[in-house]
Amino acid sequence: MTNSNMTRNHDNSDNPVIRFIGVGETGVKLVETLAMIGLKGVESHSLDTDNRSLSRCHQSKTLLLGKSIPCGLGAGGDVALARAAVESDRDHLSRLVSGADLIFVIAGMGGGTGTEAASFVARLAKETGALVVGVAATPFNCEGSRRCNKAAGGIRDLKQSSDVVFHFSNEEVMQIAGGEVSLNNALEIANRHLCESVLGLSRMLIEPGLLNVSFGDLQASMKGRHSLGSTLCVEGTGENLAADVMEKILSHPAARMGKALSEATTLLVHLSGGDNLSLTEINTIIESISSHATDVDLIVGASGSGSDNVLQVILVLVQQAKSKDSLMGANASKNILENEATDLSYPENFMPSGDNSYMGLGVESTGTNRVRFAYTPPAPAVETITPEMKNSLLEVAANQESNRKKRKEIKQEMLPLEIISKGRFEKSEPTIHKGEDLDQPTYIRRGMMLN
Amino acid sequence: MSNSQIIVGLEIGTSKVCVVVGEVSDNQVANIIGLGQSKSRGVRKGEIVDASVVEEDVRNAIVEAEHMADVEIQSVFLGVTGSHMRGFNNTGVHPVVSADREINDADIQDVIKNAKAVNLPSDHSVIHVIRQHFSVDGQDGVLNPEGMLGAKMEVDVHVVSGRYNRLQNPIRLVSGLHLQVENIAFNGLASSLATLSTEQKELGTLVIDLGAGTTEYAIYSGGVIKHTGVLAVGGDHVSNDLAYGLKVPLGRAEQLKVDNGSAVIDPETKNRMMDLSTDNIIPGKKVNLNHLQMIMSMRLREIFELIANDIEQAGLIDYLRAGVVLCGGGARTQHITKLARDVFNLPAAIGRSSTVSGIKNALDEPEFSTSIGLIKFGAFQSQTTPKREGFGHAIRKQFVSLFGGRK
Repeated sequence: MTNSNMTRNHDNSDNPVIRFIGVGETGVKLVETLAMIGLKGVESHSLDTDNRSLSRCHQSKTLLLGKSIPCGLGAGGDVALARAAVESDRDHLSRLVSGADLIFVIAGMGGGTGTEAASFVARLAKETGALVVGVAATPFNCEGSRRCNKAAGGIRDLKQSSDVVFHFSNEEVMQIAGGEVSLNNALEIANRHLCESVLGLSRMLIEPGLLNVSFGDLQASMKGRHSLGSTLCVEGTGENLAADVMEKILSHPAARMGKALSEATTLLVHLSGGDNLSLTEINTIIESISSHATDVDLIVGASGSGSDNVLQVILVLVQQAKSKDSLMGANASKNILENEATDLSYPENFMPSGDNSYMGLGVESTGTNRVRFAYTPPAPAVETITPEMKNSLLEVAANQESNRKKRKEIKQEMLPLEIISKGRFEKSEPTIHKGEDLDQPTYIRRGMMLN
Repeated sequence: MSNSQIIVGLEIGTSKVCVVVGEVSDNQVANIIGLGQSKSRGVRKGEIVDASVVEEDVRNAIVEAEHMADVEIQSVFLGVTGSHMRGFNNTGVHPVVSADREINDADIQDVIKNAKAVNLPSDHSVIHVIRQHFSVDGQDGVLNPEGMLGAKMEVDVHVVSGRYNRLQNPIRLVSGLHLQVENIAFNGLASSLATLSTEQKELGTLVIDLGAGTTEYAIYSGGVIKHTGVLAVGGDHVSNDLAYGLKVPLGRAEQLKVDNGSAVIDPETKNRMMDLSTDNIIPGKKVNLNHLQMIMSMRLREIFELIANDIEQAGLIDYLRAGVVLCGGGARTQHITKLARDVFNLPAAIGRSSTVSGIKNALDEPEFSTSIGLIKFGAFQSQTTPKREGFGHAIRKQFVSLFGGRK
């Protein structure tokens, strides 16, 4: 989707300007997949600190984060490094997110770049006034509790800085595919699910329909929610299309046996079938959805451009951060919004904590700076997440302070994830000089090849 | 023995624990009479990581030194280092208040006290406050203002500080061995005391102590210390790089470094392979000597470059008219002086502990310079503080060095 094409779309106000921004390795992969599908009028960008993952991109526009700090070698799971990288490219990123109506920030949580940079990009996007939808994949439970905790933190940050976060846990793949699935397949399923969410939502806005769902509808249902959401994309086939679709919706892991439907505050239903899509079918589906979700804003759209005998239904669920009432007083939530506003109007103050950033190395971080940023995140909608996530999130909420300290300490333990081994210095305090880890062999840092 | 004093320097280094026993006569001439060392196993980057092992190593070294010098060691001067240590310059001001405006000893003590009051992080404590120059009513370069007349006195000092807790680790360990720690000294300072002559200090010299875990450096100019610094990078890093790059075990890498290492790449070694198959560890293993020297040279050059950058930032590069003096185990690397000359553009030499006398072979080894320097440091200390005033005084001094020494 060339730039000129984009501008034209925008000028005619035909379609909203949609941008996919993939952050980190997983994000880049997903965006590349999305770009390959080539939805018309959508611009794809891949951002990573790792040159290698960007070099695999052919369809999307790439941007290497932090040319000077990790030098294109990846953040290696180090969130501080990732933050330094993304902060150094701040100007570039602001340009990248400007002028769009809907921005998807797509990232895999649990690593370095995705976890840290996604929320930063989302916030920049938010500052431009766009509707920001975060799309996050979280790791398998077996990848270790620390990675999962980091992912939970990443989702929390992302949720804070974007309007809605679509979250898909790799653990859910197990539920869909069963335990016997190969790793390759499992990842493919996870990717497909996330892509479906994004594509479904975009298609709903772009494709001309019989009953249109407009960008305004979407904005009204999502703007400023800071909540979790999910998108279900199912295809019904066979004689009894409506029954098939409903069965698939309810068996979808994201629907959680229909519980998610009843908890949602807003539902966008988009049906796309063949030319012979009948009103009865639409009616049946909407009615059965309504029976599960009694107290929601229901927005229905339909298009007839799909193939015959197949009914594709896209269901967008948006949850109100309902824990506002249960976990926090009304005052607290009001404070959040106020803080939010101040933060957005002073982008200089975004740096969350000086000591987590290499940019401020050696500079004593001032107390005021830290205080300004330390506002409480909106409490998670506890029921929408897996029990494991719930535990980690509650833990984070319970001892925020000590957990933050812990994270700083375990920075050392992250080192084995780096590609370059530090040999005997692996366990000792790293010698960092101007952002360079001197424990790594000089010849590697200087890019000298031994042959 | 009655008119001489025994001073012991103890350095708990990353590669070795070294004890040097010195005899200081009444006219302050130090003479080395004993030496003890043992391999250090519990130290990384100059700081203790396994106290029980280090305790054993220190005990072994002390016993060896006691045998050689035939004395019983009761107290030591301890060398400290680590990446947490910092050196910087500060100025103290003091108005002279006495009626006749004559500067007396109390005024000097006061101005130094003011200079000590630096804005340190709360967990840091001052190790050294070294006076550089006094200035009386704007007259610079006064070396000793006592007896001069003036209204305002200033003093420039060089302050070396470190994290209190991390400094206490070696002190507590040595105290646990029933040895009294008379005082602690920064290793970089000690090495420079051992290796530099008065002329070198006057002309301006950079002393680099290339240790196994850390590299310390100190700059003298105009007879006083101008700058000090520590890099937590040393010979261990060279070995580690070699182990990683040549894919050999760390111990073998260490030996390769000693046997075949060079600070500059020798063009002769191009494509020369060395057979390691005689070792049983890695049968049929060959290493490329050119790679070995390349890896080593890059690391050592980087260390020098980091120091050179730091000195340039401090604006001292033009003061080093007597060049660079290298000491520590790393100074044994072949062609290291050539590399230093290349990087600093200054004459470079290996330091000899020429300022003391005694066992000849100990003085010539660059790796003993820190311990020997500690003896010089101890000799200065005992010169300034009256000696032998009984048990009570010793106790008090101990407390002063432990607690009063901070700030």
